[in-house]
Amino acid sequence: MQEIFANLALGFETAFTLTNIIWVFIGGVLGTIIGMLPGLGPATGVAILIPITFGMNPATALITMCAVYYGAMFGGSRASIMINTPGDAASIVSCFDGYPMTKQGRAGAALAISAIASFIGGMIGMIFLIFLTQPIANAALKFGPAEMFSLMMFALVATISLSEGSILKGIIAITFGLMLSTIGLDALTGITRFTYGIRSLEDSIDFLVIIIGVYAITEVYKNFRDLDTVYNLDAKSIGKVAITKQEFKQSIGPMLRATPLGFFVGVLPGMGATIATFMDYAMEKSISKHPEKFGKGAIEGLAGPESANNACSCGAMVPLLTLGIPGSGTTAVMLGALTLIGVRPGPLLFAQHPDIAWGVIASMLLGNIILILINLPMAIPLVQLLRIPNRLMLPSVFGLAILGTYFLNYSSFDFILVMITAILGFLFSKIDLPIPPMVLALILGGTTEQTFRNSMVLSDGSLSILFQKPLSAVFLVLAAVSLLYALIKRRKKAA
Amino acid sequence: MKKLCSLFVLVALVISVGTLSATPGWKPTKTIELVAPANPGGGWDMLCRVVQKTLVDEKLVEKNVIVVNKPGGGGAVGWKYLEGKKGQGEFLAATSTLLMLNNLLGSSDLTYKNFNPIAMLQAEWIAVAVKADSPHKGINDLLTAIKANPSAVPIGVGPTLGNNDHLVFLSLAKNFGIDPKTIKFIVYPGAGGEIVPAVLGDHVKATVIGLGEVLEQHRAGKMRVLGITADKELEFLPGVKTFKNQGIDLIFPHWRGLIAAPGLKPEQIAYWDDVFSKMVETKTWKDQISKLGWTNFYQSSSVHTKYLTEQTEVFNDLLTTVGLKK
Repeated sequence: MQEIFANLALGFETAFTLTNIIWVFIGGVLGTIIGMLPGLGPATGVAILIPITFGMNPATALITMCAVYYGAMFGGSRASIMINTPGDAASIVSCFDGYPMTKQGRAGAALAISAIASFIGGMIGMIFLIFLTQPIANAALKFGPAEMFSLMMFALVATISLSEGSILKGIIAITFGLMLSTIGLDALTGITRFTYGIRSLEDSIDFLVIIIGVYAITEVYKNFRDLDTVYNLDAKSIGKVAITKQEFKQSIGPMLRATPLGFFVGVLPGMGATIATFMDYAMEKSISKHPEKFGKGAIEGLAGPESANNACSCGAMVPLLTLGIPGSGTTAVMLGALTLIGVRPGPLLFAQHPDIAWGVIASMLLGNIILILINLPMAIPLVQLLRIPNRLMLPSVFGLAILGTYFLNYSSFDFILVMITAILGFLFSKIDLPIPPMVLALILGGTTEQTFRNSMVLSDGSLSILFQKPLSAVFLVLAAVSLLYALIKRRKKAA
Repeated sequence: MKKLCSLFVLVALVISVGTLSATPGWKPTKTIELVAPANPGGGWDMLCRVVQKTLVDEKLVEKNVIVVNKPGGGGAVGWKYLEGKKGQGEFLAATSTLLMLNNLLGSSDLTYKNFNPIAMLQAEWIAVAVKADSPHKGINDLLTAIKANPSAVPIGVGPTLGNNDHLVFLSLAKNFGIDPKTIKFIVYPGAGGEIVPAVLGDHVKATVIGLGEVLEQHRAGKMRVLGITADKELEFLPGVKTFKNQGIDLIFPHWRGLIAAPGLKPEQIAYWDDVFSKMVETKTWKDQISKLGWTNFYQSSSVHTKYLTEQTEVFNDLLTTVGLKK
């Protein structure tokens, strides 16, 4: 324990130079802006920085890149809340309740709670990172294909609770999402599936394209009829970027529950903030006393995932710092940049470069504080955007969505895809098919299939492997229980 | 701040690139564009960034150099983009064996013949590694165990079957008299990021992977490299034997290089031959690649083209033997 504090002191010594503080600030602002723009995520932000980091000392470089990473995590949900367009994959969930809050004239509260939740998730996540790095890294190693598959099953079943009304509709949406996820090149055999000769489909469908389609553009279609609306909001309530005591009370539980969940998901290889936020949302909804409010502007549904998102990015640092392997796309880019300036993160990083490893950790604590100071005041000019009437707002949203789509893969085929999915999203909403389970199934589909097939290869085709591994069995039991629970709850309601 | 400003200048320059026509004794007349046909952070991206840094820092070119990421299609998106820059010598793209493999495996129509190969620049070696407490001390131990009971020795590979790493293990097995079809490959689409934890967590018994991805684990004593595809023992990795030293005749560089747009004039190719033959001798280049664990592996445009012709044959045979080529 004492050693940790001594190390932390060393870290603060490294981090708290004027140069580093300035870079944390610049990185944080840059990251927030990048995070806000649809299609540009933290990985792009860090990549832009690579040429600049060439001239830095390794600690400053890593500190700056981390600042961009966290900045993007803070900024990602701005566009979700304001215009129903996720800035990056991790902020899809922020659309579910963030946007309804905006429509109710509570944009200020939504922006405030998202910054506060990000801050809390980030700070507690950092504490986990400082004290629990080693044991958690070891625990994550226990997750083999079977455990991963069962965790995926649990997440998928949990999303059924995300669907409004009938469980059948939820299952239809999930099945549809899973079907979409099978399109493209199959990594295990190298064979292309369901591409019908369309080359652009071989890379499989980028779920971000689908998401921009079903959220942003569908929203444009829906609002198309009344071009002069300014959301009919009370002008006074727009400008207030604050939350009430009651709202904070409602949010604190979800934030504290989301942090450990997000952190652990971040540590797992191949998992990411997107999955963490979805799992947390499903969890909050299923334990809530008023699940019917979710999706209609429940502040818990925004606070939890926002914390999970930031805690997840702390978790993603664990494999990077302890094993030298990236836990997310962004950390992969960081790893590359660090290698170029002569530091190879790996199992020896803490031993060989304690100043760097601990300097980064210390700077992330500092970065979180700077970021909330940037983000709360920044929300005030942002909410003013809501005064723009639909006839100007809708084309801007449309333009941003199209731009974001192009930035994802630089593929013109994605334009066609995004328009098709937007129509699909519109039809879904007309027949009351829930969109979130479909989106989650699309995101998880690939991993679910891969891990299942890998488990089967390992066990020579026997399903028993899923029950023999204790962790895997636990997740399967949890999945079964939550399905039963959802069924019983609905039956009671019907009766 | 100065760096940030120069970044903006770079961006402005990209936007304002004009057109050009090649002249005798050719020189680039606009910003030089290095196309990394992948997302930032991968091998192609790193290659482009190191080349960019070296060309600029060592003042080997007079124009600005930028890196453009065009991910997708296992490189096809970026290469297609390059194909469209016919006759323009300022556009170069990173390439590797994938340009051949994609075509042989039927997922792309492009081959090196669609372009002007400019240079092979570096090679990484491929390693077979196990967890430190594994009973296998050398590659022959591992292969013997597989021969005895293939189902008990799952091998981690990624991101897809049919890549360099996979081919290396298949060749090793074939050399050792193991039926390649019996080997239990566990495919990790997240490649090294998922494979290393899978080895450390004992979910697979060994992996075949780029040396760089397991180097730090090996140095930290958490994993053990059983052998590498290099032609001789590496200076920075004493004590690790090549496969050749252990009696298996397999040398396999995982190389990367640059190709240029089709339809270049000989003087344009000559210009780049001159630049890159100088570049690989500079201190900046040598420093950077040694940090990345890469080996300097230069081939000029003519040598490289010949090498590509030969390698295509070799891969064709190998893929046909193991039944991956349809």
